[in-house]
Amino acid sequence: MRSRKMPTMKRPIIAMSVLALVLGAGACSGGDDGGGTAAKPTNCTNKIVHPEAKAVSVWAWYPNMAKVVDNFNNAHTDVQVCWTNAGQGAPQYAKFQTAISAKKGAPDVIMLEADQLVGFEIQDALVDLAPYGANDVKAKFSAGAWKDVSQGDAVYAIPVDGGPMAMIYRTDVFTKYGIKTPPKTWAEYAEAAAKVKAAGGPNFGDFGSNVPAVATALMIQKGANPFTYDLANKQNITIKLDDQATKDVLNYWGDLATRKLIGTEDQFTTDYIAGVVNGKYATYVSAAWAPGYLTGAGVGSGKEKGKFAVAPLPQWDAGAPVSVNWGGSTFAVTSQASDKKAAAEVAKGLYADEASLTDGWKTQTIFPLNQDVLKSEAFVNNKVEFFNGQTANKDIYIPAANAYQGATYSPFTVYYYAQLQAQIVKLNSGKITGDQAATELQDIMVKYAKSQGFTVQ
Amino acid sequence: MAVIRSTPPAALRDSTGVPRATAPPRRRSPARRGAVGWLFILPFLVVFAVFLVAPLLYAGYLSLYTKGLATGTTFAGIDNYTRAFTDPSFLKGLWLVLRFSLVVIPLQMIVALVAALVLDEVTGRLARFSRLMIFLPYAVPAVLGALMWGFLYSPSFGPLEQISSLFNVQAPFLLSQGNIFYGLLNVVTWQWSGYYMVIIYAALKSIDSSIYEAARIDGASSRQIALRIKVPMVSSAFVLILVFSLIGTLQFFAEPQILGPIANGSVTPDYTPNIYAFNLAFAYAQFNYASAISFALGFVVFLAVAIFMVATRKRGSIFT
Amino acid sequence: MSNRHIGAKLFLLALVCYFLVPVWWLLVASTKNAEGLFSGSGALWFNGFHLVDNLRDLFTFNNGEYLRWLGNSVLYALTGGIGSTVISVLAGYGFAKYRFRGRNLTFALVLGAVMVPLTALVIPTFVMMSNAGLTDTVWAVILPSLLSPFGVYLMRVYTSASVPDELLDAARIDGAGELRTFLRVALPLMRPAVITVLLLSVVATWNNYFLPLTMLSDSKLYPLTVGIGLWSQLASSNNGGGQSLWSLIITGSLVSIVPLVFAFLTLQKYWQGGLAVGSLK
Repeated sequence: MRSRKMPTMKRPIIAMSVLALVLGAGACSGGDDGGGTAAKPTNCTNKIVHPEAKAVSVWAWYPNMAKVVDNFNNAHTDVQVCWTNAGQGAPQYAKFQTAISAKKGAPDVIMLEADQLVGFEIQDALVDLAPYGANDVKAKFSAGAWKDVSQGDAVYAIPVDGGPMAMIYRTDVFTKYGIKTPPKTWAEYAEAAAKVKAAGGPNFGDFGSNVPAVATALMIQKGANPFTYDLANKQNITIKLDDQATKDVLNYWGDLATRKLIGTEDQFTTDYIAGVVNGKYATYVSAAWAPGYLTGAGVGSGKEKGKFAVAPLPQWDAGAPVSVNWGGSTFAVTSQASDKKAAAEVAKGLYADEASLTDGWKTQTIFPLNQDVLKSEAFVNNKVEFFNGQTANKDIYIPAANAYQGATYSPFTVYYYAQLQAQIVKLNSGKITGDQAATELQDIMVKYAKSQGFTVQ
Repeated sequence: MAVIRSTPPAALRDSTGVPRATAPPRRRSPARRGAVGWLFILPFLVVFAVFLVAPLLYAGYLSLYTKGLATGTTFAGIDNYTRAFTDPSFLKGLWLVLRFSLVVIPLQMIVALVAALVLDEVTGRLARFSRLMIFLPYAVPAVLGALMWGFLYSPSFGPLEQISSLFNVQAPFLLSQGNIFYGLLNVVTWQWSGYYMVIIYAALKSIDSSIYEAARIDGASSRQIALRIKVPMVSSAFVLILVFSLIGTLQFFAEPQILGPIANGSVTPDYTPNIYAFNLAFAYAQFNYASAISFALGFVVFLAVAIFMVATRKRGSIFT
Repeated sequence: MSNRHIGAKLFLLALVCYFLVPVWWLLVASTKNAEGLFSGSGALWFNGFHLVDNLRDLFTFNNGEYLRWLGNSVLYALTGGIGSTVISVLAGYGFAKYRFRGRNLTFALVLGAVMVPLTALVIPTFVMMSNAGLTDTVWAVILPSLLSPFGVYLMRVYTSASVPDELLDAARIDGAGELRTFLRVALPLMRPAVITVLLLSVVATWNNYFLPLTMLSDSKLYPLTVGIGLWSQLASSNNGGGQSLWSLIITGSLVSIVPLVFAFLTLQKYWQGGLAVGSLK
């Protein structure tokens, strides 16, 4: 009876043919190595307005990216953006790194934070945009912003936004625990933290291990200069992670953490956001784009409306304030882009139109670096809703952005952040002191740089 | 790759044979039949060669070189291996998965065995239902299992915290640095115990029940029957399970990788050897060293399993 | 006697509770909207009913990328699963029923391969695939999934035990060729093991995370595991463009476990027997 169900020998033949086809097709497509073809611009997240135009694939994670892409595509008939969100930060970098190793799979244009550029430049993964007219837009940016994306005459990305840092705080918590003026120095910050905690109040802030860029910015604020590196002299690097400034900053936060005056939760997780919503943290030391992400997660609405305000970043020396930056991104053209000219046009034009920029700063998901915006009346005098009508741009963020000196990044930022993160975890749990963390970090990074063939000074 | 393309059709031609008419009335000679045997295993051998032997050899080859960001690729000999076995990141990860195996495997075995013994004893609707429900997590991808438990562990929204707060105590955060070992232990036990339970249960069911009758006549209690008869009779199922859970745990990846982002830094980029190799390759662009780590891990797993097989003296059960 | 069974039943109930808690939570949570999820109300009980909205959002979000991932998962699991099953069945039968030179050595290799951690092969396979220009294609996920040494082992053991040589010889005497003998006589007897191996390999491919995560960078090719992983990463960095992704992730997780649970429930009479095969020898 069962044998009647298989009257012929066709089944195994089919099965084996399928197998042969599968293996054969695999072997065949192995022949025509697509080397250099970018992600096919089919099935983009956005709609292509002009299907006949050249399509350029883009990876980016700006929250308002859908609008930005539509603005670009509506305004351009010769080139169209095909956008994908491949993850925010590290996961996207890992994907890009994978694509570089595989020599295929990278987009034409990619969003990269300024601190990541050198690491990809040294691998020849990015295209010098100077021959594609990058300098046409140079005048729109401050010298510092432009320096972050260039190496000598070469320009590896077009800046979009920056992240001048400040201290966001909850007015309700400050009022309740009698903090009359926001702390101006880190000493006052620690004092206020102790006062709030002693009165049974919430954590004063948070030193999460997953924001090593913040820790680095705070180290730089005290005068640390972790890396000195120039791509023109690509085998030489100077690493100074065990200087007094770094130790002081790590000791400061480690001390607050072990005294339980601040939280040590990773930032941006659902639990952390719930904590921010429920007033578990009195302050949030963060960048100008943070309110947009908080709003997106539902912070500052409903009962929490109008409870947030912003003050300048506390200083080590109130007489000589130093401004630092966290995040801020650029658009770069990858070496795998099939049409570099079209890709460069996208890098220059995407998120550069007024409508997109305005939407970005109004939702506070970006702090634009475009000088036209920074000087525009609307931006300067904007009464920020999240901060209960405070003119935060004029009072806090623009001065901070103007005072920012720029920073030098290493060509192995991903590795450095991973190591710093591990040290912060240990620091927060009180297992090591800031001095030990800095020394250990220095050893690890020097060893790593040497293993990568750098000469370390 | 050309070999792959051409062989399966050849296999097809031969094994389907030409119409019966031309075939000899008697069956093929033993030698001829041996050739047919080769044809049956040929597709497997091809896949085996391409996706197991070749990557292994290639990993071995890659691991003999080194590539620095600032330098090109150079021959390194066994440097990557001496580095791996002195690399605290690799050793720490290895130690973690070994420790994890030592705890999670017995735990899973006990849960699976006890559940199977109880299910073997109890009949009826509840038993059938329980069997399926205990098995259910096996059908849930590890990634989703980890996501779900991550939510359940949450100090803000998780039931653990909510139930504890009814009694005015604070539930432990199972993903904190000190607790994540247990948090992961729970996820893995939840995921796999049911699968192992089904294997043991099926083995129990295949025992001839007249043995129990004989034992009962000799005055053995149910517990004695379970411990003295049932457990030894299914011991070869244990060996199978042990081997699989050992191999699985030593390659630990998905669960810590998924729980990492909500674990406040407890899951470091070198938490397990596999996570370390993944980060080396895809975050730090060190494919050569990553290959060495993969190779070294494979070697350690192979060695561990082989030692285990010898130690349990059940070689006959797998090495037929 | 009955007393002891009450104890046993209570024990079973406790076990069932433990194993069901996450699934129950998933079921409950998928009926909540973001507000309900994060309001801090009982995580294990209902709070409003938004399952239909969630499902609609799930299937339309980002031009329905979830459906695409679902389709990819089905494609990978079926081709990888069926392919590796066919290969394993053929090889298992070949090992069990034919005597040929080098058989024992080859089978020893298979057993050795069972012990090689397959994830250790992912990175070299990735580099090989990229040299062949195959990364970021469906083949990069399907082809490595065809390898299943354990399936071969299982099929061999089962075939040796349940397909008598006499039966095969009788078929041959009747004039059946080798392939016909295999198909008509042996294969029907091997059915429980075939279904078991099929289920195991489909599950393995369906649940795979490491392999597609490394091989694919185009999100259009993602299977569900990697896709939902991406969503959860975006959601935990609050990057849903103002929309909370969590209810989609939870509903998506629920939807994605339904097919396998269904397959296991309907096919239970096959796999429950088949799973024991490997352990009986």
